[in-house]
Amino acid sequence: MTTDATNDATAGMTPAEIAERYGLHQMGVRPGLREYVRSLWTRRDFMLVLARSRAEAENQNTYLGRVWDILNPTLNAAVYVLIFGLLLKTRDGMTNVIGFIVVGTFMYKFFQDSVTGAARAIPRNLNLVRSLHFPRAVLPISSVLAELAMLLPALAVMAGFVLVSDRWMLHLDSTPNWRWLLIVPAVLLLFMFSTGAGFVLARLGARWPDVLNFLPFVLRIGMYASGVIFSIDHYLAGGGVLATIMNYQPVAVYLNLARQAMLDEPSAQLSGELWLVGLAWAVVTLVVGFVIFWRDEARYGRD
Amino acid sequence: MTDEFDVEVDADDLTPMTDGEVVLGDPSVVVDDLHVTYRILGTRRKAVEAAPQGRMRKLVGRSLGSTGGVTEIHAVRGVSFVARHGESIGIVGTNGSGKSTTLQALAGLIQPSQGSVYVAGIPSLLGVSAVLVRKLTGARNIMIGGLALGLTKDEVEERFDEIVEFADIGDFVHLPMTTYSAGMAARLRFAISTAAVPDVLMIDEALATGDAAFRERSRQRVDEIRRQAGTVFVVSHSLASIKAMCTRAIWIDKGLVRMDGPAEDVTAAYHEHTRARSGPAKG
Ligand SMILES: Nc1ncnc2c1ncn2[C@@H]1O[C@H](COP(=O)(O)OP(=O)(O)O)[C@@H](O)[C@H]1O
Ligand SMILES: [Mg+2]
Repeated sequence: MTTDATNDATAGMTPAEIAERYGLHQMGVRPGLREYVRSLWTRRDFMLVLARSRAEAENQNTYLGRVWDILNPTLNAAVYVLIFGLLLKTRDGMTNVIGFIVVGTFMYKFFQDSVTGAARAIPRNLNLVRSLHFPRAVLPISSVLAELAMLLPALAVMAGFVLVSDRWMLHLDSTPNWRWLLIVPAVLLLFMFSTGAGFVLARLGARWPDVLNFLPFVLRIGMYASGVIFSIDHYLAGGGVLATIMNYQPVAVYLNLARQAMLDEPSAQLSGELWLVGLAWAVVTLVVGFVIFWRDEARYGRD
Repeated sequence: MTDEFDVEVDADDLTPMTDGEVVLGDPSVVVDDLHVTYRILGTRRKAVEAAPQGRMRKLVGRSLGSTGGVTEIHAVRGVSFVARHGESIGIVGTNGSGKSTTLQALAGLIQPSQGSVYVAGIPSLLGVSAVLVRKLTGARNIMIGGLALGLTKDEVEERFDEIVEFADIGDFVHLPMTTYSAGMAARLRFAISTAAVPDVLMIDEALATGDAAFRERSRQRVDEIRRQAGTVFVVSHSLASIKAMCTRAIWIDKGLVRMDGPAEDVTAAYHEHTRARSGPAKG
């Protein structure tokens, strides 16, 4: 029984017709892809604020606070160089061991933290997801954006390591040079790729929390398969299918592009072909990942 | 007895609703044969049930016990109603009858397993968990909540002082929400969600943690929203608050609408029912 007598206007109409007539939209259904992209664009401020909050919250409860933005990557680089460069002596096939390892580990760390963060994006923000209605893609995107914000000070540290090791260890005077600017598109492509991969992992992580336990192992294997601390070319000098796969798999490509920008390594000489491969990987992964994430839109936040 | 019959009747602190000013508008929420089913994965079977023989069987049986098994809970089983602009609707029912689930489906946070829900604008649900991002300051939560509700950055900044004042949290606004009491968090959340007049606002027992002064302020704000053609849903165990805040009430029982009508009538019938059920011991 209904109380008001103003029902007459809608008498005999089906619920769908009433909704249509009064401009209501259906809840709990996935919006169209085009509409989804549009609603995402209108929430760009939302993404930036979430990203900034996450980046700032990182070292919020420490005494040194923002100093860690610089200290963290510096200590990381020192440890990597010490372990991989000096103790394990993986230096075959490299000109500037320190530069090679620092660029490799920093770029890989960005990729690793980005996809790990994206995989946790929905579970980590369950309160938000369960109380407000917004395009969920905001969460993995802002999570990767936060990593990008934290990468910027790390890039400065990285440049410092390359500069110092080039000058004082190899006695090169050629750095820094204009080629270094290529680090910007290299990071941008890696960002696009990481976001795309992050979309896929965000959907998996929301559905099967087990993925979150499994991911660190996959990423550790990925580290060895991407030539982060050694030269793929040197160890697979014979060529063949394996070498091709290893060299053209996306993460190895982006590490190579970053090294093309910052270093003068025999295994990473400027190559237009590799930039095109990197661009293709980035665009395809981003688009496919986005669609995969969107397909589950109506279900995020459910148990 | 599993049901809870805590029926407060102390509405003296709430001034009665200003009636008769609001003319009911067009439909703002249409719920058509809504069903929601929860699927719970990895439910452990009882040890007795598995009854494995031999060491190998035991091992297999045990691992299956914690991986297989899906339990389904049919929480909402065919709810239909139409709400209009300018209406405030109380929802009553015993614990576990499906009130929260219904509101979550209305807010687009849960996918119906059958039927459909149509809503005007961006709905906002104030649930039991009032905190958006616990680690962040109240100020950041205001910005995040406002942007998620579709305000622009400037609009949130414009309303910032008013939100803080309404929530009455003072300097706490610059501290992480981990330092807030439940009442403070609920007040802030309510202030954020009503900073712009929402098309559809749902309050799921979110006012219970507030003090009397806040309850009165929130009642006034609900009235304001109603007058500006918003639609408000209120779930509360206090029948007095429902009577004070709502024009209409829906009684949900075991996932179905048991009664739908003027708040007075429905709360009276529900009160009668709970009194009868709780027996003479409770009087
Ligand atoms: N997240 C959930 N997972 C599984 N079952 C749930 C969940 N939330 C609620 N339920 C079940 O759905 C039914 C309705 O719950 P709910 O909507 O919270 O009722 P109410 O708000 O009226 O107390 C209950 O039987 C409850 O156990
Ligand atoms: Mg409830």
